[in-house]
Amino acid sequence: MATEGFMKKILIVDDEEVIRLLYAEELEDEGYSVITADSGYGLIELIAREKPHLVVLDIKMAEHHGLDLLQDIRKEFYNIPVILCSAYSSFKGDLKSVAADYYVVKSADLTELKQKIKMALEGSIWHKPSTE
Amino acid sequence: MFIEKNPHNIKAAELVVGIPSYNEAERISYPTAKASEGLIEYFGDKTSVIINCDNNSRDGTREAFMSTTTEVPKIYISTPPGIKGKGSNLRNLFKKSCDLGAEAIVVVDADLKSITPRWIKNLAGPVLEGFGFVAPLYVRHKYDGTITNNIAYPLTRSVYGRRVRQPIGGDFAFSGRVADIYLKQPDWSQAVAEYGIDIWMTTTAICHDIPICQSYMGRPKIHKPKDPGESLGPMFLQVVGTMFDMMIEHVAFWKEVKWSKPTAIFGFGLGEMEQPPPVNVNVERLYEKFQEGIARHEALIKDILSGNHHRKLTEVKTLTLRDFEFPANLWAGVLIDFGVAYKNSLKKKEKIMEGLIPLYYGRTCSFVIESEPMTIQQAEDFIEDQCSVFEHAKPYLLKRWFE
Repeated sequence: MATEGFMKKILIVDDEEVIRLLYAEELEDEGYSVITADSGYGLIELIAREKPHLVVLDIKMAEHHGLDLLQDIRKEFYNIPVILCSAYSSFKGDLKSVAADYYVVKSADLTELKQKIKMALEGSIWHKPSTE
Repeated sequence: MFIEKNPHNIKAAELVVGIPSYNEAERISYPTAKASEGLIEYFGDKTSVIINCDNNSRDGTREAFMSTTTEVPKIYISTPPGIKGKGSNLRNLFKKSCDLGAEAIVVVDADLKSITPRWIKNLAGPVLEGFGFVAPLYVRHKYDGTITNNIAYPLTRSVYGRRVRQPIGGDFAFSGRVADIYLKQPDWSQAVAEYGIDIWMTTTAICHDIPICQSYMGRPKIHKPKDPGESLGPMFLQVVGTMFDMMIEHVAFWKEVKWSKPTAIFGFGLGEMEQPPPVNVNVERLYEKFQEGIARHEALIKDILSGNHHRKLTEVKTLTLRDFEFPANLWAGVLIDFGVAYKNSLKKKEKIMEGLIPLYYGRTCSFVIESEPMTIQQAEDFIEDQCSVFEHAKPYLLKRWFE
């Protein structure tokens, strides 16, 4: 659950409107602030502008491939947590998916996605500049 | 301090490829030639040099290296007679690279049979784009690299929170700034001077918040893979001993870490994935060494393990080879118990490590049996699941470490 007064912002990138609406409603109920994008167009600029704490990224989209978008995101934003969320488990075998924090297979039950979002946000807190 | 042969009197280089060696006369020419091709093809606009950092080999390594035809100039440096170890060689490389003012330093193993010129591009390229440390990512046979799969990767990932799949891969790249950081580190043990150097470099980079990426090499690592039941050698003691030493050194960093983060990945677009050559493992021998070893070190193991872990191990010990399983959560707990014992012990660190070896044989035996029907990808998922078990054991590590 996100803390009141400091809502974590999540960006959902998915070309299916049904998914965007479902995820937005469920994650807002969990206390997150949610923004959405229906494609990869202008994604890097959107992330730079909106500074989300985490990105949930679909893989097979009509005009973009999520694994290529993930590469673009990692080049610009080294530490932003990214969760790949796909209807297909087969992309897990693609080495490009290693650059994601987690890989979740889409399901009507969002328990796993919510758990991975929590873990990815917790995991990003510690990574602060070293004082050594 | 090193002996140097620098026939072209090279005083500066933007790119350095270092090849550490000891008695590699038969093999060193191949990676040397490929390194030169890679430097010319992909970084022809930069000044570069190939350095063989050797352990005063007596088999003609220096002559084989220096006589290899290359467009890129070469320098040979060596530890003085009597000083051995890969770490000693790399320390000389760090020093020489800093003297040359190198922007990027690539290290490749002298026994590599599968290196291509593209490896140089994929390792050096990310450094020139701003990354400080580049680890390799290659497809390996599921039984190649059992220390990596069962200790180095899951422990590094869970303790320090960075997912570096090949933290002791042997082929790396780093910036000149990172070479300088390495040179200034005070924790330079005998194990680091030998096989502990790879995990030391990776861990030092993580703990200094150096931007890290992994680069896909395109071809499998083909070198001299070993059956883990036949040839563990000093490598195990040096790698795991260095990991425990670094946990002691960097506790202020890792005690804050929860879960783990991925890294950026480079080097795609290379076409079909090539399958690695098979590695044969003698499971019966691993099982025998497990049973023999825990019988020999029974008192020590009982003294080190928590009561619960010792009870679980006693159960595992009763299993026949046909039903044998050494669960991942027990393995994570065992490693934590041994790490804590290592920290708390002042005198008998070597003895502690000897007690861990049979347990490692047990876990490796179980890994081989469980992953036998799996494809390489399925085995990767299996290793990832093991990492998740290690991450969930972090609260236990913190409790035991600070009690």
